[in-house]
Amino acid sequence: MADKILLVDDESEFLEVMSERLAARGMQVSTADSAEAALQMVEKESFDAIILDLQMPAMDGIQTLKAIKAKKPELQIILLTGHATVSKGIEAMKLGATDFLEKPADLTALTEKIHQAKAQRMVIVEKQIEDKLKKIINVKGW
Amino acid sequence: MSILDPMAETGLRFFGSTSASISHELKNALAIIKENAGLLNDYVNLMDRGTSIDPARFQTIAKRIEDQARRADNHIRTLNRFAHMVDEATKTADLNELVALLVELFQRPAAMQQVTLKLQLAQTPPLVETAPYLLLTALGRCLAFALQAVPPGQILQVGLLARSHEILICFDLLTGLSNLAPDSFPTVAEHALFAALKVTYTAEAAAQRISLAIAQR
Repeated sequence: MADKILLVDDESEFLEVMSERLAARGMQVSTADSAEAALQMVEKESFDAIILDLQMPAMDGIQTLKAIKAKKPELQIILLTGHATVSKGIEAMKLGATDFLEKPADLTALTEKIHQAKAQRMVIVEKQIEDKLKKIINVKGW
Repeated sequence: MSILDPMAETGLRFFGSTSASISHELKNALAIIKENAGLLNDYVNLMDRGTSIDPARFQTIAKRIEDQARRADNHIRTLNRFAHMVDEATKTADLNELVALLVELFQRPAAMQQVTLKLQLAQTPPLVETAPYLLLTALGRCLAFALQAVPPGQILQVGLLARSHEILICFDLLTGLSNLAPDSFPTVAEHALFAALKVTYTAEAAAQRISLAIAQR
């Protein structure tokens, strides 16, 4: 099944070209040009990974990361930034980012990280299902 | 504790934040150029495998690369003008040029707060004897403060007003100015800067304006 990803960046030209390149590599790509639009999409759909720009107007990547994790903690988020600093990277990872890359990101590396993020998400979702089943079994006393 | 005096530290911080902002914009333009170059490569690989690609798609990519190259060039020009502000410690400066540069430098910070900067230049270029980089730093501090007083989606006007013996550099439409603590600006560093430049800072909450007055040459 194709990796389903959400690209979030306020630069529409970056979104256009990245989504075309990732789609050509077999991914199902949705885009959002603001944190607000991204949060609305996250409410409605599930994604294997979210590629999120760190610096955006109104709500930056770190704030968006926090907001997404609050709604959907299992979502895997890869932060992309024009100025990667160690402190920002540490802050992002502590808040639950899957990874942190500097723009312009190597597409092969990014694609690999997306595959890894999807695998990580599947482990989390399977654990959630397992926990739910155990709960049902305990309640039913089977 | 800083080993620099407050004015020097403010000047350095202004240099740092301005350079960082422009470099960020350059990175964004380069990232788009790089990805479009990669897309061209993707198309070539597809064509090698027998897929035909509409020539119009190549034109689209060429235009994108051209637009981003032009964008990056504009940023480099702005950075160059900024760098040359320190060529002379003091000189006769054209305030129209200085304020225009200030607004260019703050386009991204303003955009990040969803504020639109509007520039109103003087009809006749006002000339003043000043330290250009320090004055730009002082104006930068004023504009950074003014941005806090404008809600997202609004306009902040930066303009020049000529009076008999002085020029006022005004930051207008600051609808949230009365909500900001009056002692939050200027700080010790800005006071030192204003004193060194012999400029007078005024905040008029009712008029939704802050301004710097500088003696005209």
